Amino acid sequence: MAPTGFTLFLDGLYYFIMVPLVYISITVMVVGIAVKIASILSSPPPAYSLKTFPARKRPALAALGDTFGMSMIRKRKPVFWFFLMWFHLGIAFLILGHLDLFPSINIMPAASRHMVGAGFVGVSVTVPAFYFLFRRFVGENRHISVPADYLLLLLLLFIFLLGDMISWGNSWTAHGFVMTKANFSSYFGILSSFTFMNPRTVLYGSHYHFIVLHVFLAELFMMILPFSKIVHTFFSLPLNMLRRR
Amino acid sequence: MDEITTGHLKRLFETKLNKAMRLYLDTCARCGLCVEACHVYASMPETKYTPVGRAEVIRKLFKRYFKLQGKFAPWLGETISFGDIGMDKAYEAAFSCTGCRRCVGFCPFGIDTQQVMGIAKLLLMGVERQPQLLAMLSDMSIAKGETYVESGENYREAIKNLESQVEALAPTPEGRETIPVDVQDADILYVGLSGAHSIIPAAAIMNAAKENWTLSYFEAVNFAAWLGDAKKQAKISQRIVDEAVRLNVKEVVVVECGTATRVLKFQSGKHDFKVTSIVELIDRYIAEGRIFLKPGTLQGRLTYHDPCQLARNGGVIEEPRRVIGALTGDFVELTPNREENWCCGGGGGLISMGEQEFRMKSAKVKVDQIKAARADIICTACENCHTQLTELNDYYAMGMKVESLTNLVARALTGFAEKN
Repeated sequence: MAPTGFTLFLDGLYYFIMVPLVYISITVMVVGIAVKIASILSSPPPAYSLKTFPARKRPALAALGDTFGMSMIRKRKPVFWFFLMWFHLGIAFLILGHLDLFPSINIMPAASRHMVGAGFVGVSVTVPAFYFLFRRFVGENRHISVPADYLLLLLLLFIFLLGDMISWGNSWTAHGFVMTKANFSSYFGILSSFTFMNPRTVLYGSHYHFIVLHVFLAELFMMILPFSKIVHTFFSLPLNMLRRR
Repeated sequence: MDEITTGHLKRLFETKLNKAMRLYLDTCARCGLCVEACHVYASMPETKYTPVGRAEVIRKLFKRYFKLQGKFAPWLGETISFGDIGMDKAYEAAFSCTGCRRCVGFCPFGIDTQQVMGIAKLLLMGVERQPQLLAMLSDMSIAKGETYVESGENYREAIKNLESQVEALAPTPEGRETIPVDVQDADILYVGLSGAHSIIPAAAIMNAAKENWTLSYFEAVNFAAWLGDAKKQAKISQRIVDEAVRLNVKEVVVVECGTATRVLKFQSGKHDFKVTSIVELIDRYIAEGRIFLKPGTLQGRLTYHDPCQLARNGGVIEEPRRVIGALTGDFVELTPNREENWCCGGGGGLISMGEQEFRMKSAKVKVDQIKAARADIICTACENCHTQLTELNDYYAMGMKVESLTNLVARALTGFAEKN
């Protein structure tokens, strides 16, 4: 049966999300971050040292510890610290897992059915994200939160949940895995080689709609990243240097 | 608010957007870690008294005028404008913050609320809503710097009247003046406050150490630092810097005043002379055996309040403890202490502004902390803290003695016969 108007529109939309919008969102993210960093670097330095005491013998090392160990949180809010560490480690593995989809990188064997973590990485970011969301509704956190805080967490949660669904959905059919790491690698191959092929030719599972939605939300996240508080990814270390040096 | 005023405030705001400030305004995750750091919030739990609550006022103005979000989706960050409640909120935020920077140590990014409040204070000056008392005191300090030569004779006479009280604590070294003024090439320029209590004990200690010192014409306190007026702050500091250069001193020693010490030590540029607090000097004298303290001059258990600007923001943390160790064996720490100590609630110019009711209520957590130490005497090394602690002692009927560390040391001076 020939595709109807709506199916054609949907196919076109899906293609736009799965290919051109990926490039657009990455460009927005990279340029946005670059502009932000440039605007900070071009600003005058503070007139005097903003460090606090006792002074550390190795301020740079102390700042690294503050940034990656978050000792000030561990000391005062151990549960929050536990979820934060879990979440950030999960994010690191999540990035690794997605990088592994590029055909030239093979942390997991190319023939593997699974991505890095075999679905556990997704859970590792989803559970803490739920904790962060619920935490926002409790006590003073509710009063200091603004709508953007909730929306950002909801966006992340939907991305994670869809990712989880894609992972789990792979094993829901009677025939086992519908889409394997090799399929996703083919999609990433299309993107990295700029062939502009339709990904539907390599992602043939019935849950393609969820993949499109997952990719779309991830693109949304990348595009708002430079304009949101997620910039702490880049600025946490320089900020901690300010109080240590 | 009309467009001209809005434009003026935007330009003022922009002058504060240095590297650190851009990072502070962009990065807060509103994680709420700082909430419990503030003594005001701990005593009066309202969102507006949290560090993040205060900084958010400025952040919301920043988003409104400097970010795309303010133009396209202001609701996302609940932005506010200068015109509606912006300036009222800015005043409340800026002058309910003592600038103690305890929250810096709680924030995973080290966001400095005192710096962010600097924007609020500048904006308030832009619409003539700064605390007039602080503005007046700042102007008086600057005026004194311009007329000190004319008033020099009166000052010397007033100082002469204090000599007997200094002599009662320690003898004047042979061939020296009891309270020397204008001594060229002195080793130390001591900067006191406008009160005999800030000069007499320090003079006795330096005389006991046979120091080659001279007294400054100026008071150390820098009201403009609390006002948030960087230009006036620099002018007030410059009087002392110029005097130190003119007299060719090796070191400027600042009276027990946390803000004055921090401003001169860290915020007045680089100099050929060293800047230290009187507590560091006393510690040095004890270590070098230049002064001796008589044990047993203190009756009762002593505790010490770390002044925020001296300890957390100035690095003078162990020195007072060593001095206290030479004074008494009956010492108990406050909990928390050192860089985590609770602010007394008198900083940020609040003492000079009056604000007694707010100061007393917002320092309830401080009172509880002091009571828990079960000490008889509390001493500190900052004039502001001393005043606030004295008022808290009366207001909450704590029944303690409030002392200045320099005073305790001066009263315990001994060993002159052996040294002379």
